[in-house]
Amino acid sequence: MPLLELNGVRAGYGPTQVLHGVSIAVGEGDIVSLLGANGAGKTTTLRAITGGVHWDGAITFSGRSLHHTSTEDIVRGGIAHVPEGRGILTDLTVDENLQLGAHLRRDGAVVRKDYDRVFEYFPILRERRRLSASTLSGGEQQMLALARALLMRPRLMLLDEPSLGLAPMIVKAIFNIIRAINQTDGVAVLLVEQNARLALELSTQAYVLEVGRIAVKGASAELIGNDSVRRSYLGY
Amino acid sequence: MQEFLQQVLSGIASGGIFASLALALVLIYNAMGLINFAQGEMAMFATFIAFLLLDRGVSYWIAFPLTLAVAFAGGILIQRIVIRPLERAPVLTLVIVTIGLATLINGVAGFVFGYVPRSFPSPFSVQTVNVFGAFTSYRDLGVIAVSAVVLVLIYLLLQRTTIGLAMRAAAHNPEASRLLGVRVSWMLALGWGLASAVGAVSGIMVAPIVLLEPNMMQTIIIYAFAAAVLGGIESPLGAVVGGVIVGVAVNLAGAYLVSGDLELAVALAIIVAVLVLKPNGLFGRPSVRRV
Repeated sequence: MPLLELNGVRAGYGPTQVLHGVSIAVGEGDIVSLLGANGAGKTTTLRAITGGVHWDGAITFSGRSLHHTSTEDIVRGGIAHVPEGRGILTDLTVDENLQLGAHLRRDGAVVRKDYDRVFEYFPILRERRRLSASTLSGGEQQMLALARALLMRPRLMLLDEPSLGLAPMIVKAIFNIIRAINQTDGVAVLLVEQNARLALELSTQAYVLEVGRIAVKGASAELIGNDSVRRSYLGY
Repeated sequence: MQEFLQQVLSGIASGGIFASLALALVLIYNAMGLINFAQGEMAMFATFIAFLLLDRGVSYWIAFPLTLAVAFAGGILIQRIVIRPLERAPVLTLVIVTIGLATLINGVAGFVFGYVPRSFPSPFSVQTVNVFGAFTSYRDLGVIAVSAVVLVLIYLLLQRTTIGLAMRAAAHNPEASRLLGVRVSWMLALGWGLASAVGAVSGIMVAPIVLLEPNMMQTIIIYAFAAAVLGGIESPLGAVVGGVIVGVAVNLAGAYLVSGDLELAVALAIIVAVLVLKPNGLFGRPSVRRV
């Protein structure tokens, strides 16, 4: 049984329907990419999973339906969602942002170890701990968002365009860390990306959304090699 | 010089009272961008509860925390019952609701307790004491001490505890906070509870001075508005500093410049001057937001 399963999910904003029956599965410890053009419904899919948009159909996480569950409870159940725009609390310090990631945990000793690990991944955050999060650059904010998500000790991370607006070098570093987090902690990742090539190299499975429907799905390695899929949907 | 110092000290005491009520306003403004016009009436009602307890022979230092607890619960109840159903309503709707709430609480207090002013005890004597050559009363010093303790406790709660951090996060960015598992709606309720309790402190402190009756907070709330606006309506520290400045300014103006009847006009002048010259107050940040 997959960790996360969407079945025929329809969702939208008011009268505008964005998703017209999306089915996706993410297995325990998998990295799955969700690709597609602007406006295809990638962000809406993630928002449906954490209850940020009204939806119907079926979404189950670890066997439990997420229908009528509040965002807070879904998140507390083990899903960390790094949203579009990263969701950094810019009125708070870097450290306070990190604390919020861990604020529900009761395993203090493990939290301290996780802090050390987070600072190993992102040494710059240790230097900036006391500064306001608003002073961070885009790349540093993305690091903070990932670090904070890691401190939540999730079973699944939803990452919405972690590469957006960042220099290629930084994107590469961040993707390496996503891979490392996945491998050491066994955290499953559902990755939304515009940068299809990068996402396919990182993930094992991939889905391509086209105007609210899954147009293509398969093993990432196969999609990379499939020229017609690449040309028609992935644009590189 | 000695008289000047005395006026300043007594101004700081009034300032503590204004600061508590101003802090209550700031707590709710921060949580939901709303000025709670019922804050003063809520404080007045809480003071009547303290009065009932004292009247039944409960000792002051038990009645005091007990009243704050009741006020805290009352604040949460008001948020859950009256404000929460309107969470998505425009701010103007909520403003009208708080004005209605103020009228309602005032009316209920008048109906239940009557409009005859009652004397309210202070645990501190009005005996004078010599501080650095200035004569002040134990009561003024007591008011300063109680206000200071309450304000420090609120500061520690907001800045040094996890729940305070979650409250600040929920106030600044509800959407992002929800994704971190913060129960945003409950944090808002907690903000109302805290504000209500802090406001109650100002009511209990001011009642021995102005006498307890349903309209007793109606001038105090104007001073609190002045304090909050002066400090920058978003800043808890600003509310405290603003409260002290307004308290001292009003007291000095009353002693040297204008007759006592015009003290309220000084507060209004402060509000207007701040809004014209420095709309964000002393500690407020410019309200420029990246879109």
